[in-house]
Amino acid sequence: MKPTWRRVLFLFVVMGALLAAGCGGNDGASVPPVADDDAPPATETAEAPPQQETAIVLGTKNFTEQYVLGELYRQALEARGYEVELRSDIGSTEIIDAALTSGEINVYPEYTGTALTVVFGEEGSADSAEATYEAAKERYEERGQTLLEMTPFSDSDAIAVRRETAEEHGLETIGDLADFPGRLRLGGQPEFRTRAQGLPGLERNYGLTGIEFVPLAGISPYEALNQGQVDAAAIFSTDPPLATGDYVVLEDTEAQFGFQNVAPVVDRELLDELGDDFESTMNAVTRLLTEEAIIAMNSAVAIDQRPADEVARQFLEANGLL
Amino acid sequence: MNGPVIPEFGRGSDCVRDRELFCADWVADNWRGVLLPRLVEHVELTLVAVAVGFVIAFAAALAAHRVPRLETPFALIAAFLYTIPSLALFQLLVPITGLTVATVQIALVGYTLLILFRNVLTGLRSAPADALEAARGMGLTRRQTLLRVELPLALPALLAGVRIAVVTTVSLATVAAFVLPRGLGQPIFDALREFFTTKLIAAGLLAVLLAVAADALLVLLGRALTPWTRARRAA
Amino acid sequence: MTVAGFRPGLFADGIRFVADNPGLLAEKTGEHLVLSGAAIGVALVLAIPAGVVLGHLHRGSFLAVNVGNVGRALPSLALIAIGVAFLGIGFANVLVALVVLAVPPMLTNAYVAVDEADAEAVEAARGMGMSPLQVLLRVELPLAAPLLFAGIRTASVYVVATATIAAIAGGGGLGDVIVNQASYRLAGVIGAALCVSALALAVDGLFAALQRAVTPAGLRAPVPPLEPEVGHARIAL
Repeated sequence: MKPTWRRVLFLFVVMGALLAAGCGGNDGASVPPVADDDAPPATETAEAPPQQETAIVLGTKNFTEQYVLGELYRQALEARGYEVELRSDIGSTEIIDAALTSGEINVYPEYTGTALTVVFGEEGSADSAEATYEAAKERYEERGQTLLEMTPFSDSDAIAVRRETAEEHGLETIGDLADFPGRLRLGGQPEFRTRAQGLPGLERNYGLTGIEFVPLAGISPYEALNQGQVDAAAIFSTDPPLATGDYVVLEDTEAQFGFQNVAPVVDRELLDELGDDFESTMNAVTRLLTEEAIIAMNSAVAIDQRPADEVARQFLEANGLL
Repeated sequence: MNGPVIPEFGRGSDCVRDRELFCADWVADNWRGVLLPRLVEHVELTLVAVAVGFVIAFAAALAAHRVPRLETPFALIAAFLYTIPSLALFQLLVPITGLTVATVQIALVGYTLLILFRNVLTGLRSAPADALEAARGMGLTRRQTLLRVELPLALPALLAGVRIAVVTTVSLATVAAFVLPRGLGQPIFDALREFFTTKLIAAGLLAVLLAVAADALLVLLGRALTPWTRARRAA
Repeated sequence: MTVAGFRPGLFADGIRFVADNPGLLAEKTGEHLVLSGAAIGVALVLAIPAGVVLGHLHRGSFLAVNVGNVGRALPSLALIAIGVAFLGIGFANVLVALVVLAVPPMLTNAYVAVDEADAEAVEAARGMGMSPLQVLLRVELPLAAPLLFAGIRTASVYVVATATIAAIAGGGGLGDVIVNQASYRLAGVIGAALCVSALALAVDGLFAALQRAVTPAGLRAPVPPLEPEVGHARIAL
């Protein structure tokens, strides 16, 4: 009888080899791993490349602007000789903050208003961008983190409708939605339903009740608007589709959505270890980010479908940071 | 003060900008940078999960074959794991094993266990009593019986199990991108956010093709390793 | 308590979430059932008559069996993604994807069940002078019933489980809670997951009972699946 057990053995050997190969693969989750960054090795600088004992683990949330920010900071740091592990697409604020406090990451770009309301449970942000930033920074420092400088741009939540809808119902401000005929279908990120600056805020500030909230977990809210799944959508003010003019952003007369500049949240210990050079490298990137710049980069990634790392690289090169 | 320099990032093709249903040029431009790496990751995830799951399930099935009392607890654990919706299990593991590949792999391995355990055990038990009698009569040790009689006869069921496990894992690995941006699920979730149908179709089709190709390959492998079943089928 | 903090009592938290949020979960379960039910219904209409007829005529075996094989291999999220691309987000799109996933096991089982119904019994019936239709209705179908229902059962459980992913494409259902750990915390994720499991098991039990009910008394011995895969319930998705 043919030794069919040899065949079985062969099968096991093959599987074992595959297993060994698989387990030898890399861990971590940078996106994309194959397209190695083209950042040239650290160029001659006044100071020597810093000694780094703790790995920088940079996280980002799960949308385009955050991918861009992650790539910007990562490439700038690597150009200065730092070792950075980029963990993109971690999730919403609640999830990424948990990753920060549990030590899985030690840096990520956060929005000042969101930090106050979502991370620290405040009801609203402060009266100005600076005040919001200072308040958030204070709360972070109580916790063992801190904020680096904030960006010129603010990416606030906003409510948008299609231009046709706005014209048909005479919608200019968020308050106008109270007169919307029938039940208003509002789409947005699932967390909008419970956040203080989300649905509860609309009720509190504008008296909007009886809204049918349609959670759009990771689906483009603009697509939902286009397809008539929702009448209005909770979006972000630096979203590329807004530039097309097909949508109208309703005025936030009660300043519900506040100020949302971006500032990197950093673990205090990491910052102390890496020192001024790390801080100034990050800040150099931050200072470049005007609204015009970030919208241009967001558009390049979302609309023109250019890879985020390419876009970040081109921007940093053009501004002498690579 | 002057603002930053904003370079030309490169316009997408008209097809991409106008968001037509499918832009072949995008696929061609991004095959090497986006689609292929994700495909490779997906294959990796699947192979490792099925291989590890097989080793565990095989050991458990061997044990249950020897000690029948073990079957129920093993089967119950595996079945329980299998009942948990994958979207939930991936999220549940993150606090334990972190935002790493290990988290995804553990979940994927868990899902293969029920299929593989059941099939290996069924296969091991499928040896007809007279074949076992004959083996004993020939003076084969238990181990020899296992290797020369029971395992070969178990091959069809074993391979059927591997086939289902592979196909199931390919499917589950796409959902894994909900917690970890690896594999073909990543471009799918990405494309849903920016609503870029080309990427949706490209990644979706790749996943489908991968699953179907893996299935076909395993059928062929099965036929090669167990030619006697083909004879039975043709009869 | 951080959102992602894992405590051993998390399972209990999940149960507590279910107890504390009956309205939300009832609403989501309702959506889930409507979506699943619609998909199963459409799939039944498409697959069963086709499978039965083909099996009765003993034709199209290549098609019927391979549709089953290929269909079983289709990754559900990929199908939903392709569906979204062509049909947009929302109920209709996800419905189509779920139907595409449900039809193959139903079709294959229906075909095999009728095709392989005891040939002698069929011969005897024909010999007794029954018309083809009578043979089908009075002999083939009752004999085929167990395996046929096994296919419906498999497909139905699969649909209920896969409908969880529908939330990602705007389909609603219990998946809405599972993808929203931000709002509902891990307790909510677990609670909703428990509901999905319970729902899937309930559907499985329902169809198992139906399967037993339609099995002619003489055939009530457990029918071994023709292939290890047929009759295999997939809940994980």
